[in-house]
Amino acid sequence: MTEIFDMTWDFIVLFLNENVPLIVGSVKAVVIAVGVMSVVPALVWLERRLMGRFQVRLGPNRVGPFGFGQPMADTVKLLFKESIIQASADKFLFHLAPAVVVVTAIVGFAVIPFGEPFEVFGQSIELWGANVNSGILFVFAISGMGIYGMVLAGLSSNNKYSLMGGLRSSAQMISYELTLGLSALSIIVLTGSLSLIDMVQAQEAYPFILVQPLAFLLFFIAGIAETNRAPFDLPEAEQELVAGFHTEYTGMKFAMFFMGEYINMVTMSALVTILFLGGWNAYGLPVWPIVAFAGKVIFLLCVFIWLRSTFPRIRYDRLMTFGWKVLLPLCLLNLMITGTIKVIWFP
Amino acid sequence: MLEIATVFDFTRDAVILVVGLTAVLASLGVVLCSSPIYSALYLIGHMICLALLFLLYNAEFLAVVQIIVYAGAVMILFLFIIALLGGKKEIQENSFHRSMAITFVFILLGELYLSATVGPTKQIQGEIPAEMFGTAKAIGLELFSKHIVAFELASGLLLVAAVGVICLAKFSFAPLRRRTR
Repeated sequence: MTEIFDMTWDFIVLFLNENVPLIVGSVKAVVIAVGVMSVVPALVWLERRLMGRFQVRLGPNRVGPFGFGQPMADTVKLLFKESIIQASADKFLFHLAPAVVVVTAIVGFAVIPFGEPFEVFGQSIELWGANVNSGILFVFAISGMGIYGMVLAGLSSNNKYSLMGGLRSSAQMISYELTLGLSALSIIVLTGSLSLIDMVQAQEAYPFILVQPLAFLLFFIAGIAETNRAPFDLPEAEQELVAGFHTEYTGMKFAMFFMGEYINMVTMSALVTILFLGGWNAYGLPVWPIVAFAGKVIFLLCVFIWLRSTFPRIRYDRLMTFGWKVLLPLCLLNLMITGTIKVIWFP
Repeated sequence: MLEIATVFDFTRDAVILVVGLTAVLASLGVVLCSSPIYSALYLIGHMICLALLFLLYNAEFLAVVQIIVYAGAVMILFLFIIALLGGKKEIQENSFHRSMAITFVFILLGELYLSATVGPTKQIQGEIPAEMFGTAKAIGLELFSKHIVAFELASGLLLVAAVGVICLAKFSFAPLRRRTR
């Protein structure tokens, strides 16, 4: 008996010694997933407070200091709400859809680097979930999978408003994904790498927004459309579609769609920071790299909220016209100019 | 005392086997499922399994492209069309199509037998260094040096198809008159 125990113990010790990267990776995965999910209530609070200020009212300020308790109270309310599923819905897909949205949103964050590596106990701890060689493509692939959540929600609800919302979301996200990818391509041309970490390291001297202002603008606009935020929140236009693809959802499943949206917002802000604002490079400011990164991301999140409370929602056909006839040609032009300059002057 | 390397190899093989089996089951689901939505979903599952297999064999770029192009873009259009046409369950009945399908199954089994008799698969002998294998650079170098003509021809073909679709969609009926400023 003791022999078997000793053998198992030896095996476990050996396994742990051989697999430190595996353990570090698992811990990082858990930390990133929990961290990303706990950003959501804070972001809801920030959005409601800021929106209040933009619209010359106070926003939530009754529950706790500065209304900090409001998101917690909302979460508890949503958790304890009755979950209603109408009889004509496809039960399996109805349950699957919000899970797809949240899981893809969290997985997409796995390759985002948010700081320089540092040493702990002789182990180099890198501040990113995974160093994927084609990191930026990975983010695009995962965000593409996130569309399925909305389409499935629209299809399974058996409701014409939901279906319209789902269709709109898929059409919109496919159209704007092109702009997103092509404007990121000019950065890929500049750095010559698909890895997000290489991109941040290439911006040590100056951020790419200075050399690629047009690409930055296009990427940010496409990013807002990709996360379904106002003024591009056509999939859930209240006036025409009740609430779009999540009309039939209640309780926590309803909240999961919002979780997905807010996590996507954070991922998109992080991506803009990495591609155009220099990632964790502080450019002379005496702050930690991770603080510089977080500061830029929070600033971009505030811009997201600012845009939502400033612009009215645009009409659906204009959204498509804008995407295909304005943004996409501009993107191609920018890419061609960037490529030409790169080939001629910096071979 | 177990060797750690063998344990690792065993785990890797087990993972590959599980992913491969899931891919086969998902593709069976595509054929056997009567609801078009679920068929499309099984196909997406199959594509993701294929991407995972690419990933397990260190073809990282190919895996990501597989997800972007097939699981992302192509399948979303499938679902789009199912949603527009209203995916109804088809009624199963014995018919000519069914006998055709059985014939195809036997042909596929024959092919499987043929590929089994050919022997184990071998690694491709090439000049790609090991550290570059599966990266975007390796694939780009291959595509734009050796296979440039085929690649450009294929892109031309796709462009022609896209233009053709636009022509068919645009001129088959009187265009809607709409006020756009």
